[in-house]
Amino acid sequence: MANFAIDIWGEMCPIPLIKAKKKLLSMQCGDILVLETEHSCTSRGIVVWAKANRYIIKEEEVANGIWHLELTKTHD
Amino acid sequence: MNNSSLHSQRNLNIGFILFLTLLITLLSQISIRLTLLMALGISFGFVLQKSRFCLVSALRDPILIGMTQLTRAFLLLLGISILGFALVFWGASQRNIPLSLNVFPLGVHTVVGGLLFGIGMVLAGGCSTGILVRIGEGFAMQFVAFFGLVIGSVLGERSLKNWRNVFGEWPGVFLPDILGWIPTLLLELSVLSVLWQLARWWQKKQLGEW
Repeated sequence: MANFAIDIWGEMCPIPLIKAKKKLLSMQCGDILVLETEHSCTSRGIVVWAKANRYIIKEEEVANGIWHLELTKTHD
Repeated sequence: MNNSSLHSQRNLNIGFILFLTLLITLLSQISIRLTLLMALGISFGFVLQKSRFCLVSALRDPILIGMTQLTRAFLLLLGISILGFALVFWGASQRNIPLSLNVFPLGVHTVVGGLLFGIGMVLAGGCSTGILVRIGEGFAMQFVAFFGLVIGSVLGERSLKNWRNVFGEWPGVFLPDILGWIPTLLLELSVLSVLWQLARWWQKKQLGEW
């Protein structure tokens, strides 16, 4: 159980998603990936993608227009 | 939602709705046509922003991450547009209203333009409406893309004639003229439903059961 974070600030889709996918490969099951973005579509996109891949995802709008995402890797 | 940095935007919303109401009332004194266009534009923007509809995502995600939800939404959009198009055409011909269908023949320039636009929209992170919506949301990067969009549109509009001259056009095929409207609609909708099934199968294959 470890926490990871990648910097996707200011990036537009699909770059955050590609970066997250890449990072997930190096993580163990149960690890959490923390992402923060100010791009609404990126946030939505990652949530939908994570659900389709059956990962656990938590989305919170921490300030106006800033989304905080926590993605738990549940399987390989 | 109890975070202190998450300010309520209610007052801004009320102010903006008041402003829009005043604007539309004012416009209705000048021209009904303008009022309707304005109302249509506002509704379009609202739906686009709330639906998070993204043409780029619809065309890119199947290849990039194997997801086709938006692709299927896009196919649905095409289906509804086809029906609406036919309905408007039928209604207009019943009432003898002249209608310009804006149907243009294909040409090599269509393919070239499509490729250029496709590359541009993936790089810019949005098609034309997507860019406009995200500017409205305050995403600064899209301002740059917007300038590119404006320059590209003006250049394209100005040079369209030359493109047509250089590449020529294939003879236009307008299916309803050949097959009639009902068979055309059936053909188009069945092609779309085949594509829909294909998109669903693709996501299942890429992501497992879903």
